[in-house]
Amino acid sequence: MSAPVEQEYEALLQFMYMAPIGLVQTLADGEITMVNPLCAQLLMPLSPDGQLANLFTALEAVVPDLRQRVREFPDAYGTICDAQQVPISTGQAGRRQHQVLSLTLLKLDAERLMAVLSDVTQSVRRERELRQSQAWINTLAIGLSDYALVSLDHRGCVKGWNPSISRITGFSREQVEGRSLSMFYPADAMSDQRVLDRLHEADLTGWSLDEGWCSRADGGRYWGSCLIAPLHDSDDTPADELAYSLIIRDVSDRREAAEAMLKAVSCDHLTGLFNRRAFVEAAELEMQRWARSPRPLSLVMIDADHFKRINDQYGHVTGDGVLRHLAASMTATFRAMDVLGRFGGEEFIVLLPDTSVEGAELVAQRLCRLIEATPAAVGEHTVRYTVSAGVAAMDADATDFDALVQRADEALYAAKARGRNRVERWQAATQPAAVR
Amino acid sequence: MNTEHHVSFADAAIFDFLERADDAELDGLDFGVIGMDDASHVTRYNRFESIAAGLSPDRVLGHALFTVVAPCMNNFMIAQRFEDAQQDGSALDDTIDYVLTLRMRPVKVKLRLLARPGSALRYVLVHRQT
Repeated sequence: MSAPVEQEYEALLQFMYMAPIGLVQTLADGEITMVNPLCAQLLMPLSPDGQLANLFTALEAVVPDLRQRVREFPDAYGTICDAQQVPISTGQAGRRQHQVLSLTLLKLDAERLMAVLSDVTQSVRRERELRQSQAWINTLAIGLSDYALVSLDHRGCVKGWNPSISRITGFSREQVEGRSLSMFYPADAMSDQRVLDRLHEADLTGWSLDEGWCSRADGGRYWGSCLIAPLHDSDDTPADELAYSLIIRDVSDRREAAEAMLKAVSCDHLTGLFNRRAFVEAAELEMQRWARSPRPLSLVMIDADHFKRINDQYGHVTGDGVLRHLAASMTATFRAMDVLGRFGGEEFIVLLPDTSVEGAELVAQRLCRLIEATPAAVGEHTVRYTVSAGVAAMDADATDFDALVQRADEALYAAKARGRNRVERWQAATQPAAVR
Repeated sequence: MNTEHHVSFADAAIFDFLERADDAELDGLDFGVIGMDDASHVTRYNRFESIAAGLSPDRVLGHALFTVVAPCMNNFMIAQRFEDAQQDGSALDDTIDYVLTLRMRPVKVKLRLLARPGSALRYVLVHRQT
């Protein structure tokens, strides 16, 4: 005997209530007809109107083109987007949470859509870590290139000498002994503070790995993979007895592949700068470093002035060229250790570690002058344009990264209000809360 | 005292009523009542809520509210508020607009979130907005 239909219905209902994945069915215009609880849990914090009447509206801030993609989808049935990763940030001020949602949208027929939403924050993070370890294991397993083995003291200074250091880096014993490992990097790529951060991160996770440009004694560059691992075995070791090993490999032959992979995952297609997600991740690492030991940390928000006019006058292709020009000018102006990102549209963002607000302001002004003096040559057009920038620094009153962004944004708003083509610094006392 | 017609969703003294009301009194209310213990397991579930959600009390009682019964409340807007109040040992009485997925339909509701230090139970009250 099967259970009465009411009981089966109730069990089915509870099955849907408990399903650990978000399910929602809508009409063609996004109006929600059926939705399960997990979907509401994920969508409600995003919903701009506090309602759950329309899926497109609920997702408007994070997937603004959804409505359009549905409208333009040519087939009667099919997948409109397949497990698209959507970075979101929710929570109250001071306790923002950054998550990644996965969104799949199916067109069932002319009237109905069905979406599947899930929180994939953890798996995205794991995947990335795995890729990174994999990259390192590959170097160990298949790399035939030579390596330098360097022992470091608790400040990241070279302790012992061996010939492998000279083979890879070209430096002599006299040049390296007692000096910071930052000497193996280009001058603008590794500050003393960054060295300490990496040692600390090696303590926490067992290693710290990075890949990027390194420099030789003769000034020549090579693409290096650098691993720092602690040699001491416990946390009880007195601070000045901590010791580390640094392994530097010249992996120049892999540079293109490594850069291509990094670009595909982290970079904005148009400008090659970090995309928003990669930027937020890099910024959060800096925020953790800041929280552990506060030091100067500044943020610059940059916005192309009257960009809409440029698009209107010259068309979008030229507009894109201008954005590429701006990105290239930023890369030329800021340091290798600064984090450069495209935040959206014509808005760019730079995080400057170990830099005071005065320092950041100076660099931002340099960029402003450079752009003003160097028009973008795009196809047959020579486009003169300017940028505005807002600068802010991290301090104890700024509770988190979003608070810092908010400050830089307010300063940018002030720069726009005061006539554009200028840099403004965020000021606590004089700055009214900007409403945009 | 015949309480059931006098107790409203917005009643200032509702916590005292909830603490002493028996099941029949909760079932007489025209809004949903979910009570949970300090581990967020549902210990009270009135008739109004049961009918609205389409679940009988025996499917719900003893189960974790935020994961099994109402995952839609498991975010900073609701679950976090209870956690914060629990951690700070402070009282909670917030009313918020929300959307529940009752029988898979989005339903606009007002939720009243209630907790107070020293009380064994915490409550979510659900009032349908028309």
